Amino acid sequence: MTLPTLLNHLDRRALLALGGMAVAAALVGPALADDLYGPKATGARSGGTLNVGLLLEAPGLDPFHQGAEARIRITVLMYQGLFYETSGGKALPLLAEGYDLSPDGLTYTIRIRKGVKFHTGGAMTAKDVAYSYNYIRDSKNGSPGAGDFGLISAIEATDDHTIKMTLSSPNAAILMTMGNKYGAVVPTGYFDAPDAKTRLNQVSVGTGPFKLAEFKPNSNVTLDKNADYWEPGVPYLDRINFVSVPSGASLLVGLRNGRIDMAPLTRPQDIRQVENVRGLVVGRTPSFNQKAIDLGSELKPLDDERVRRAISLAVDKDEIMRASVGGYGVVIGTMVASMQEAWGVPIDKLPNQKVDIAAAKKLLADAGHPNGFDLTLTTIIGYDWMDAAAVTLREQLAKIGVRLAIQRVEIGVWIRNFQSKQMGFTFNDWATVPDPNLLFYRHFRSMPQGADFRNWKNEAASKLLDEGRTESDPAKRKDIYGRFQQIMAESVPTIMLFSADHVTVRAEKVRNYDQHATGWFYGLARTWIAS
Amino acid sequence: MTAVETVSPRGGSALLRRLRREPDLAVGLAITAFIAVVVLFPGLFTGYSPLAINVDKSLEGPSALHLFGTDDVGRDVFARIVYGARITLLVCAGALAAAAVIGGALGIVSGFLGGRIDMLLGRLTDVVLSFPPIILGIMVTGILGPSTTNLALALTVVYVPSFYRIARSGAISETGRTYVEAARSSGLGEGRILVNHVTRNVVPLVLMQCVVLFPLVLQIQSALGFLGLGVQPPTPDWGSILQQGKDYILFAPWMSAFPGLAILITALAFMLVSRAVQRRFDRR
Amino acid sequence: MAVYLIKRLAASVLTALLASIVVFLMMRSVPGDVVGQMLGQTSDPVATQALREFFGLDQPAWRQYLGWLSRVVSGDLGTSWTRGQPVGGLIGSALLVTLQLSVATLVLATAIGVPLGVVAAMNEGKLVDRAIQSFTLLGLAAPVFWVGLMLLVGISTATGWSPPLLYVSPAQSLRENLSIMALPIVSLAVLQAAAYSQFVRQSVVSAFSDDYVRTAVAKGMTRNVVFFRHVLRNVAIPLVTFMGLILVQILGGAVIIESLFSLPGLGRLMLSAIETRDYPVLQGALLIVVVLAMAVNLGVDMLYRVIDPRVQVG
Repeated sequence: MTLPTLLNHLDRRALLALGGMAVAAALVGPALADDLYGPKATGARSGGTLNVGLLLEAPGLDPFHQGAEARIRITVLMYQGLFYETSGGKALPLLAEGYDLSPDGLTYTIRIRKGVKFHTGGAMTAKDVAYSYNYIRDSKNGSPGAGDFGLISAIEATDDHTIKMTLSSPNAAILMTMGNKYGAVVPTGYFDAPDAKTRLNQVSVGTGPFKLAEFKPNSNVTLDKNADYWEPGVPYLDRINFVSVPSGASLLVGLRNGRIDMAPLTRPQDIRQVENVRGLVVGRTPSFNQKAIDLGSELKPLDDERVRRAISLAVDKDEIMRASVGGYGVVIGTMVASMQEAWGVPIDKLPNQKVDIAAAKKLLADAGHPNGFDLTLTTIIGYDWMDAAAVTLREQLAKIGVRLAIQRVEIGVWIRNFQSKQMGFTFNDWATVPDPNLLFYRHFRSMPQGADFRNWKNEAASKLLDEGRTESDPAKRKDIYGRFQQIMAESVPTIMLFSADHVTVRAEKVRNYDQHATGWFYGLARTWIAS
Repeated sequence: MTAVETVSPRGGSALLRRLRREPDLAVGLAITAFIAVVVLFPGLFTGYSPLAINVDKSLEGPSALHLFGTDDVGRDVFARIVYGARITLLVCAGALAAAAVIGGALGIVSGFLGGRIDMLLGRLTDVVLSFPPIILGIMVTGILGPSTTNLALALTVVYVPSFYRIARSGAISETGRTYVEAARSSGLGEGRILVNHVTRNVVPLVLMQCVVLFPLVLQIQSALGFLGLGVQPPTPDWGSILQQGKDYILFAPWMSAFPGLAILITALAFMLVSRAVQRRFDRR
Repeated sequence: MAVYLIKRLAASVLTALLASIVVFLMMRSVPGDVVGQMLGQTSDPVATQALREFFGLDQPAWRQYLGWLSRVVSGDLGTSWTRGQPVGGLIGSALLVTLQLSVATLVLATAIGVPLGVVAAMNEGKLVDRAIQSFTLLGLAAPVFWVGLMLLVGISTATGWSPPLLYVSPAQSLRENLSIMALPIVSLAVLQAAAYSQFVRQSVVSAFSDDYVRTAVAKGMTRNVVFFRHVLRNVAIPLVTFMGLILVQILGGAVIIESLFSLPGLGRLMLSAIETRDYPVLQGALLIVVVLAMAVNLGVDMLYRVIDPRVQVG
């Protein structure tokens, strides 16, 4: 790839991202990300239909009960929470207008935006807000997000435009939690109807810039512009068709031949297949995503920390990244790429990051495995990067005598193993919203406060996670999470490999699409089509 | 392979005469023989390992160095196809053999005994036959988990009914024959009749069916591999090479084109042979 | 005939019932369920329990099955667990797509395959015959999904044209619909045409060797006249059976072609239902496929009897 072709085909931002993480993070930070949904357009034209091709279809459109990323990235355009999580890691008021926090850090008084209407026509009040958050935080209602709201002890409307929220202990991440991943503000009493959950797949009841026009499984999700949207002048698009294209080959062919206007590439390496096509623009941005190797302590001999360290010392993250996503990503230590600047410990200050075969062999010998051992790696069918990464890892571990067998399982099976804490030695692929508490707590805090999926049972780490959650001073918080990351890198419950870039390919006429670091389609609320 | 065995007892010159008379059989046998050599001695055809990765040499097009190019982790595609022949064909052959034994045995019993057992097995066969093979394969591998053995098992389940039907109708027609009646009246036990007469006459039918079904099994096998349900990486198998290749289709079409051609040529060879065997069988 | 029909129908109902039990048991033996998928990387036991109750997954399996069966008997296939839409409607719209695909494939394949088979048979052993047989063999040997993939990439690279990705029904726009369906139909028809051609050739050749046809030829009738007077009819009957069999295969078996060309058909509906553990959709869809398969078989059988009264009833 020569520089001139890059200049032709990559966004300005993406190009800068290539120059190094620091530059990219700085740009994603204050410069752009402080606007809701991305920067407002200048000279935008209203109207038009945008066809977006998606490899992975949303299994359903219920923001309360459906936890899949494929759901979240679409419903953020229809539903809104009180706050908006920026790519830079701030929580901006969205349906809130502002808030006051009591000195003890336990009581939030949140002012609610006026003049907001639901897609169903009614005006939104503080009562709806209280209803919606009280619904989601009650585990009995079956929301996957319920756990994140666990520290809230009460939410009530004090008048039409104010709510009071009380916490059982201070939580620095609570505003980020009230973002848009799980739940949203919906009309009071919505879930009283017995068919309420299923009806969300036919009619949207949110406050967002777009509303649901049609959901045809295996075919399309179509959103129409919300004419009563509360932000003036936006959105610009009349209609968005999310077209389900299950085959990667047809998606690329469709992009190349103009059958779709835009598509996120789940495999960044596919850049190479479209980068020289005229009329297409490739955007590349760092992400909150992490590809990782998890080491569940329930699987012997991974319960021995020396063994886990040895594995970590044998892993060449860069080679795995090049093999599995063509190098279009950022190698990480203990923090996802987009949060590295704000929260991460520099990778050269962390233990067990550099390949050291001799040290790894010695650790294995000390642990009683001088000749290595047999190990099975679980990967998920349909996660393409894992196939290439698995064979690469197999060769790397062979160097320290660990004989790797690869077992591909279906996602449903994998999730069951994960939830029952039987994940063993596996690849994982997950993303976070930008707060270290939301990133680490549930995954690594020991039971019962956390889920501790890897059976790590590390008390020192758990104590730090508790401290980080309640500390409100940013500098102290960063220090706490820094110490946590040192423990994680030393004890190796997981090996974070890399954050794959978000790659979005769009036709040249599609303007002002800003890819959010979560991978969600927020930017479409600011996108317009040139004639 | 079956064709070779059935032909050879007639002597070398007879075989040659026949091959001259039936050029399609000659071509089929020649390709089959070639595939057999590939399966038995893959090392003769390539110096590359099908497993060795080289990330810096990924996605290189066909060249003198890499005849069929390299894949996404820099493995030699030609080596993967050559070594993949063994596992691909072994799975197909194993599945067919298992299906033939199970389906054949059930069919003979069902046809010979008749009555309730026949009725029950018949219904079950209808049930399995009424499911689309790919969906059935997906569910079976879903239950058992994807692995080479389970892929073969899934294919076995899919093909048991075909053998059941063939064997059953064969057994019924044999049971009605006069010599069986005669054996019965001369006091031969039912078990002996089943073994001595019925089975002996049904076996050729079942073998014939194996030859006919082989190309079909190969296609379903590769389709399941294409869906990612087959042989586990890094083991090469034609279906799974295709599956890895399909997403690089615009950039590296060699990753998809060549394994597809390998399936096509193999299926073609088996079909040529099976047609010749069928012709011979019909003439008898 | 009436007695036979009733017997056949009773047997079909029994088979369908058995099939539904088999599907039910198999589906529930696949590890993981819809609740796990909805909750994703969370494992709150209270939430899990609440959702299991919502879907009735906390009930014993036999009760779940009987509940499903009694609703199906009263004409209600239930609601999709993930899509929240009535299963009947989902299957209906998917079935229309797949029916169009399979019928169009059948027509195209017949139009190509049958004449090829006849021509080959009438010229047995000649160059035309060999050429046609070579085509037939290639068509049979090529994996359908591979042909589809190569066609898609080959044509789009050569001409810059590729099929639209958002499905449009023929009622909305026939033109648009045809441009979507053309490549998938052709991909499937290659194999079918080859199969018909081979089948017809074989049937015609063997019909010509029948005694009465030989007699007719010996009496001085030309091969063409004999073909139209005697052979055609004998070939038509098994051909109809054969087509019926193949039609049933495409109905549920075009999974990969549907995925490759983004068609919202029945195969894809079933595949996604297996992936998301959407039991009502899978059970409903497979029930429909099984019933259709039996209906086609029954129809073929009846047709057989109408065309050829010699076929024994019973």
